[in-house]
Amino acid sequence: MSNSHSANEELHGHHGLPYLAHHFETPIQQFDAAKLGMWLFLAQELLFFSGLFVAYLVFRMWYPEAWSVCSHELDWKMGTANTLVLLFSSLTAVLAVRSAQLGERKATGNYILVTIACAFIFLVVKYFEYQHKFHAGLLPGHYFAPVAGHTISSVFPPGSAAYFSVYFMATGVHGLHVIIGIGVLFWIYLRNAKGEFTKDFWTPVDLVALYWHLVDLIWIYLFPFLYLID
Amino acid sequence: MSDKHDDHGHAEGLVHVHVHPLSTYVGIFAALVTLTLITVGLSRIHLGDYNFFIAVVVATIKAGLVATYFMHLKDDNRFNVLLFVGSLIFMGVFFIYTMNDTQHRGQWDESYGTKVYAPTGEEAPGRGQYQEIKLEGGHGGAAEHH
Repeated sequence: MSNSHSANEELHGHHGLPYLAHHFETPIQQFDAAKLGMWLFLAQELLFFSGLFVAYLVFRMWYPEAWSVCSHELDWKMGTANTLVLLFSSLTAVLAVRSAQLGERKATGNYILVTIACAFIFLVVKYFEYQHKFHAGLLPGHYFAPVAGHTISSVFPPGSAAYFSVYFMATGVHGLHVIIGIGVLFWIYLRNAKGEFTKDFWTPVDLVALYWHLVDLIWIYLFPFLYLID
Repeated sequence: MSDKHDDHGHAEGLVHVHVHPLSTYVGIFAALVTLTLITVGLSRIHLGDYNFFIAVVVATIKAGLVATYFMHLKDDNRFNVLLFVGSLIFMGVFFIYTMNDTQHRGQWDESYGTKVYAPTGEEAPGRGQYQEIKLEGGHGGAAEHH
């Protein structure tokens, strides 16, 4: 790892910085290119999720009664708890980036670990929610077969099956993003532990945190849309 | 926009960003938690159609805080902001054009033999689901169900 004193002169030859790929002139150019790529990916993610949100809106407008009844089958306390867990994990993710910017390797690693722990808590809560829905027969599409005594409502208006299709698809795809998030966060944790990041180079920490914030961003909408219908 | 990196007089070409104090991030987190509790609280009150509107507004404020501060769009290259906002605009196009279709579809009214808009009861355009189509020419009597 070259120190920052020699980095300055080595820059003129565009070589010598272990983290600078040979096809980039300067670390700034490399940083901007990486961020641009990540934002393109995130824009694509938003458009990908927008399909689910459109399905949500169309069916909600078509079946308002079903949306209201089915929303009450969800446990808003678990939903609120999970929202707070995800928001906290976003805080620790951004603090990991901040520590990396300051070159504090140990703090960076700890913040990443807390973020990963929050992701696991989120999935465990989600597991219990899914388990309840499986027992109650609140399943998507033609698998929808409510079991008496396990549900809050005894009458399910037309469109209820569509609600649970949207519910499982949206939370399922979001949950998949959480699982992938755990993977990439752990990968960054290992790279940080190996000492790959310094005060001058922390781009990967930044990019993975951006991905994690997007997962949070999607949930910020999913939570009130699915759990909190009047 | 790379100029910001050179503001602090550091080595040319190296990445330098303004590191925000811990309190900024904790403050944003506190705001996000407060807004979450507000959404949950308001959803318990029956406000009719306003409930959904409020939920969207509060969620958008939260999303704005996350994007601006946690995702560093405040300090980021303006082009990245454009990408983010641009994708939101195209999401809007997707939403509006789809809803414009799905919200204006007539439903078949058996007793009147026409399509009607469910919300108003007005006659809706388009051929009905069970309307018989007589084909001109041919051998006659051919009817198709659409």
